[in-house]
This record gives sequence, structure tokens and C-alpha cells, in this order.
Amino acid sequence: MKFSLSDAPIAAEHITHNAAGGFVVFEGKVRNHAEGRSVVGLEYEAFPEMALSQGEALVQEAIERFGLSEARVIHRVGQLTIGDTAVVVQTASPHRREAFEACEWIMDQLKWRVPIWKRETYSSGVAEWVVPGEAVSSPVDDEMFARQMRLPEVGPEGQAALAGARVLLVGVGGLAAGSLPSLVGSGIGTLGLVDADLVELSNLHRQTLFAASDVGRLKVERAAVFARRLRPELTVQTFPVRLAGGNAEQLVSGYDWIVDGTDSLNTKLLLDRVCQQLGRPLVTASVHQFEGQLMTIRPGGPCLADLFPEPPPEHCVGTCAQSGVLGVVPSLMGVLQANEVIKGILGLPVLDDKLLLFDFRTLEATTIRRKSSGELSSGSSTWDVDATSINLESFELVDIREPHETPELTRPHRKVPMAECYEVEWQRPTLFVCASGRRSYRLVADLRARGVRGVFSLQGGVECLERD
Amino acid sequence: MKTVTIRYFAVLRERRGLAVEQKTTSCESVGDFVETLIAEHRLGLPPALIRVAIEGEFVDPADPLQEGSELVLIPPVAGG
Repeated sequence: MKFSLSDAPIAAEHITHNAAGGFVVFEGKVRNHAEGRSVVGLEYEAFPEMALSQGEALVQEAIERFGLSEARVIHRVGQLTIGDTAVVVQTASPHRREAFEACEWIMDQLKWRVPIWKRETYSSGVAEWVVPGEAVSSPVDDEMFARQMRLPEVGPEGQAALAGARVLLVGVGGLAAGSLPSLVGSGIGTLGLVDADLVELSNLHRQTLFAASDVGRLKVERAAVFARRLRPELTVQTFPVRLAGGNAEQLVSGYDWIVDGTDSLNTKLLLDRVCQQLGRPLVTASVHQFEGQLMTIRPGGPCLADLFPEPPPEHCVGTCAQSGVLGVVPSLMGVLQANEVIKGILGLPVLDDKLLLFDFRTLEATTIRRKSSGELSSGSSTWDVDATSINLESFELVDIREPHETPELTRPHRKVPMAECYEVEWQRPTLFVCASGRRSYRLVADLRARGVRGVFSLQGGVECLERD
Repeated sequence: MKTVTIRYFAVLRERRGLAVEQKTTSCESVGDFVETLIAEHRLGLPPALIRVAIEGEFVDPADPLQEGSELVLIPPVAGG
């Protein structure tokens, strides 16, 4: 193993090699400041399987590239304090020059190729996940962005804002084929790519980031190559994983804008939730045959869960594989997503209170105003009730969350998942409770539309109930 | 009886087999009407997953159905 992770202080044995005359050892240590802030400690966290395989590939590449006799890297994970060694890079080569060069190259590459996160704790007590790599500004940029900087809405300040922006693309497929070139071309500083899939032949008609020779290779890696060709100064971070509950917060927290290019409603709803929790704006889009939907979601604004609180069974709504899709549909919707992100970074208005429906047959665009759940239920209905204004004892309490959802209610209650509530005949005055008050609101709206009376929804969900 | 226009999107359009149609109905509420459409055309989604908009605003299932309205039926869309 040429690359390893260590959760204890690094005790590296020096490498030896009879053919090598030059040995270089680099130690990266935790320093007490970062970008003007005083740092008291930090924590490294890795996706071990990925970090090990990508780290191993990186060291092997350095050996071949510089003709090294030997090389080894050990990276710390876990809690570190000032002065602790975070990483050790050792290189050995017949002559000293290659060993020096390779050592520096490995450190540069390590930052953006190996998925290791750094969480800095500042003297203020605040701790933040930091994605390594710095925004760059080079003389090349001035010429590359000259046409765009001429716009009064952009100018040097706007271009600097773009250069400082970190954008995460979740799902590197058809939508990313539109968003990625437009985002990279606009001059964003850092691009993160999340997708566990390999390129398939059936992707190529719409996922035009990839070439026929890319089939069978990791999408994030090929998309990173595409992005760096367009703009070599760009920092690209690749995460060949599926976004899930366990990694979503870490992935999202390192970026300023999140672009949803996934093809799963469950993943879209997870991203929606995590972006709301962490205060990150999200631009989400979906496609179906000849149609696209798009919306921008600001923290605290109307979100995807306000529109569709209940994740439907995937087969109900049709995927690209089931229903088919014209290649240009995701590409153009992706370009529109990039447009939202770029406008957002520049401080221009975005589609944060509407849903866009775009019909590629007629080129007709329809926008529909969206409301947040707060606005939806702001006293407009007498059946959407506040826990403090009613006598809870006079209702039968029904928890409509899925069996796995927590916390359990402490008051006496019945558990009936939302989907089954439509079939039950509700006898007594019934108060439905879910996690946020969204699903219960929809359920009661639906039941009342069918003429069911005596059914009520609890505003704010479980938390508001347990607070009293 | 009232006559309304329905515009279908995404999987609803696919299942209905057309984009726009007019219908005459005795339904009182938007929700009732959507349920009759689901049953009649086997739209394959529960009412909770179909959002309805009229004149650029989402409406509630309990809202009254008005003569001459154009209802836009929007299901969740997953593809990317």
C-alpha cells in the first residue's frame, strides 16, 4: 500500500531504495490560522474506500510520471491540534530533482483528487467543513471572461464573485451535460461532482459530456476531464458516491450553490431537506419525455417538500429509462439551471417563488407561483390547527409518518401511514401529525375535498406537539 | 354542470395520451374532479401527488371548481 490513512499520530518509517539517490520527505502540519481566522484545531474525515483507491492511484501516477523509485503517502483522519502532522509524503528517485517535484505535485493533486474533508474549529468556537483548494485568478481569466465582464451586471466584481463560488453538481448525467459547461465557462472557482455511476452507451444521446470511449468509466472522472479541458485553472472535486442520508450533509456543506441533476425523487427530496437545514440554495430540475420542470429553492423559501411532501413510489412517475426522453430536454434544462446559479451568485433575481414548466413540443413556458408551507397554512383554513390553541384531549391523535420516522410521540396515539389514511373511516375528531405539518396538511385537504369532516392537521408537525 | 379545460403534464400526459382537453362535470370541488379524472383515465397516481394550478397559482383540493377554469395538472417528475 503506497497510500494509507491513519487515525493515530503518524509514525512513518523512511522509505529506502538502493537505486535512489534523492529522498524527499514532506510533512504537512496543522497551523493556527486559515484565511485570516484563528484556528484552534481540526478534524479530517474521509470516505475510506474511495480515499484509499484514489490515493493509491495518485501515488502510482506520480511514480510513473516522475520516474520515481518509490513513493508513499500517509494522511491523518480524526481530531488534530495545532502542530500535529496531517500528512506525510515521501518520494525517492535516482536524482533529487524528480523527488522534489513529485513531492510537490502529489500535495497539489491530493487536495482535489482524494476525498478527505477538513473541519476547522476557529477560536470563536465555530467549526466549519472546509473543502480544500483555493479560488484562482490568473491573467488568462481576464481574457477568457472579457465578453462577460463587459456586462454591467457582471463587471470585475461579478467575475470575482463567480471565481470565489463553489458549486456542487449532484448527479452527473443529462442535466449536467447542460449545466457543467455553462458553469465552468462562467468562471466559477470550484466545482464538485457527485455520481457513483459509470458511463453507459444508452446515456450518450443526452449526456454529451461523455464520448463513446468513456463507456464503462466513472462519470465524475470523465466529467472532471471535460471541465479541466475547458478551464485548466478550475478546481474540480470528484465524489464517486451516491448521495445518501449518511453523506449528504458533508457533501453539501462544502459548497455555496447546489445543482440537482439526479433522476430520483427520493434523492431530490433529501437534497431539498439538507439544503434547507444547512442554508444552501438549491436549483432543482427534472425531465420527462418532451418536458422539463425547474425551480430554485432559497433557504427558508418555498421548497420541493412544500410542493410534493410525500415521496411517491418511483415507478409511478416515470424515469428516463421507463418513459424515454429527448436528448436536448435535459441539456437545455441544465443550461437553465446554470443560468439560475450564475444569476444567484451575481445577485440577480432567480426563480425562487415559481415553478417553471417547459414544453419542448410547443416551446411554451408556464410558470406557477409557489408558496411555502407557512404561507399555505397561515390561518387560511380552520382545520390547520396550532397545538397551543386547541384542547388536544378532545382529538384522536394519528401519526401518519412512515414506520422508520422518529421521534416516537409520547402522547397516546394511533399510527397509520399517510397512504392508508384515505381508506379509513374517521369516526371521532381526528388530528393528523407528521414531521413538519406538510403531509398532514395535504392529507386533510384531500380528505375534506372528498367530503370527510372532523379531520384536522397539526401545524409544524411532531415538534410542536412535544413542545407543550 | 360546468365546463373546464384540463392541461396534463409529464406522466399524466403520457397516461392520458393527450395534452389538453375540455370536460363537462358536476363536481363541486377541484379535488373531487381530479379524483374522477384519476379513476376515469387510470392516471396511476394518488390525489395527494397531483398538484393543480389555475391561472398561475396552485389551488387547494377543497377549492370550488369554477365554470371556464383551466386546470394545470402537475405530477412530480424524477428524470434527469
